[in-house]
Amino acid sequence: MTKETEPAIDVEHLTKRYDDVLAVDDVSFTVRMGELFAFVGPNGAGKTTTVEIIDTIRTPTSGTVRLLGMDVTKRKRDILPRIGVLPQGFTSFDRITVTETIQYYSRLFSRRNPDVQGLIDLVNLQDKTKEQFQNLSGGLKQRLGIAVALVNDPEVIFLDEPTTGLDPRARRELWKVLVGLKKKGKTVVLTTHYMEEAELLADTVAIISKGQIIAMGSPEEIIQGTAKYLILTLKSADERAHEIVRAMGFEPVHDDHRNITVNLEHPSDVRKILNALTDAQASFLTLDVRQPSLEAVFLELTREALRDRSTETMPE
Amino acid sequence: MSPDVIGANLIVSLKSFYREKSAVFFTIAFPIILILVFGTIFMNQDDVSFDLHVQDLDQTPSSAQLVKTLELDGRFKIAMVDPAVNATRYAKDKKVNLVLVIPTGYQRALVQRLGLVGGVPSAAFRNSNAAVTVTYIYDASSSSVSPKMQMLQSALGAVNQGMSGEPPFIRSAETSILARKFRFIEFFVPGIIAMSVMTSSLSGAVNMNAELRQKGVIRKLSTTPITHGDWVLSNILYQVILAVISATAILLVSYAVFNVSLRIDAWLPTFIVLEVFAFAGIGMILTRVATEAESAMAAANAIMYPMMFLSGSFFPLEMMPSFLQKIARILPLYYGNEGLRAAMVLADNMTALRCSAIIGVFAAVVFVVGIMTTKWEEGK
Repeated sequence: MTKETEPAIDVEHLTKRYDDVLAVDDVSFTVRMGELFAFVGPNGAGKTTTVEIIDTIRTPTSGTVRLLGMDVTKRKRDILPRIGVLPQGFTSFDRITVTETIQYYSRLFSRRNPDVQGLIDLVNLQDKTKEQFQNLSGGLKQRLGIAVALVNDPEVIFLDEPTTGLDPRARRELWKVLVGLKKKGKTVVLTTHYMEEAELLADTVAIISKGQIIAMGSPEEIIQGTAKYLILTLKSADERAHEIVRAMGFEPVHDDHRNITVNLEHPSDVRKILNALTDAQASFLTLDVRQPSLEAVFLELTREALRDRSTETMPE
Repeated sequence: MSPDVIGANLIVSLKSFYREKSAVFFTIAFPIILILVFGTIFMNQDDVSFDLHVQDLDQTPSSAQLVKTLELDGRFKIAMVDPAVNATRYAKDKKVNLVLVIPTGYQRALVQRLGLVGGVPSAAFRNSNAAVTVTYIYDASSSSVSPKMQMLQSALGAVNQGMSGEPPFIRSAETSILARKFRFIEFFVPGIIAMSVMTSSLSGAVNMNAELRQKGVIRKLSTTPITHGDWVLSNILYQVILAVISATAILLVSYAVFNVSLRIDAWLPTFIVLEVFAFAGIGMILTRVATEAESAMAAANAIMYPMMFLSGSFFPLEMMPSFLQKIARILPLYYGNEGLRAAMVLADNMTALRCSAIIGVFAAVVFVVGIMTTKWEEGK
């Protein structure tokens, strides 16, 4: 049994090398019990490799990975009944129906009386129970994949890009499922390249680039720790507003002669601009001040990481 | 090994099978079609009679008697050709591969040879040098003309012998090595069973290892408690079930349509199981070499089709050149064919035992190598 205080996942100095390619480079982190942990990163960053080592699909080159207190390289047979995995691009047997697929995977886990209907309800596949896998759309396949990942009522669930390729409505439906899992106290490890998804759902986000974690924490911590500026947007601003903002020394990052967006280093700058616009009786419809999104921070961090790498590798 | 897991896999495999129409066709319908087609073609092979076109230019009672003698031989269906036509032109126009031309003067020469006087032979008038030459007008490009000419030669030889009035010095007696007379279809059925087991096992193993891996199904399965051993064993059981279904269908049609007489005993399931292991093993090794599903299937076809023809599934090995016969004897399907024929047709347990031992050793080696070389986890 796992102790309450023990992390669900404990990764230390994990490295994975494929011949000359270093896919995962000395990565360390922990995932708490009941946490929704999101790996974000560009394609080829090492997200899937890292997760597939943790969920026992792949073996590490070096480092240690403990899942539910067990070494993943030594106790795979003990680990598998306690985890659920949705691999990237989940597929199953083409001519087997939704219900049969869930029953099949339940039997692999020796579940005599699986709650097949409960799982179908959870992922909202009630109308598709007799549909063969090959006839399901991408979104329905992913939802079935999540149901399959839950057949053994796992303590830790790995979902590798569960919403990739889904339309916005299907994506939001899947988010509801993930929130439901979190409420049930499940530990969920999610990989995604949708920043909005990670920002909305995750307790902890790890940004991975070129096999290394370049930032980790709650979405707020990452944003506040990285982006030390505010974004001010004036909508439907008149010509004078444009002139005033520029005259005050703020260079708009976006200006289409109706809407202006500027990055402000100090919160007091908001007051200064507002006062100047009021004094000049410049008109605008709305004023919006917010922190940068996780996506903006992500782009900044990954750009920096790439720049740092190219500097490190530049010949003297 | 988990019986529950193996049972779950079997159910999924069988459901996938009967919902896949092309799989059902190639496993059941295709061998049945082969049996029906080849069985019909060779149904009367033992009572073969060749069409023989005869042009009688002599138009005498003696020449008519010769034609009658040939007809009574039983091996020829005689068709008379108008003496007025050009026999060569006739053969070309009618696409006839052999025309026997009896020349003018046949009866006259026969009378001289036998010394017939008023229809009674007389030694005083016999002319031993009197002879007649019949002409064969034939199409050398026809594959069946050569045996037809040999048969005709032997029939005419018998006529010559009969005219001499002397009993033949060398006579022949026939003793078959088989306990009873068998029909071609009875030799063909075991070959088709062996062939269908090969195709379903080899393509099944390719599907199991390459296609499902490429699709990502194996990757998902590797995150469940199912083991590589469970997976392989359940797939082997599935292949055995398919092979039994296929063999049963072939046998039912063979009995119902051709009224075959075959011995069905423990050798049949023994050879089916050994063949499944052998060809599934080859399939597993193939998917290690050709990892993409399409290339693995192409490689499987490249092995299966030549083996079908070289191993004697469709026709006797003796019809092939000697170097091909040597190649055939290193192919596992040859021992499947020979073993099943020995068991089902000839009731020759020793040959069946020898063939089962050879294919058994082969199966053990390739299956173990196949297991060792195929990956389950993504691993390294």
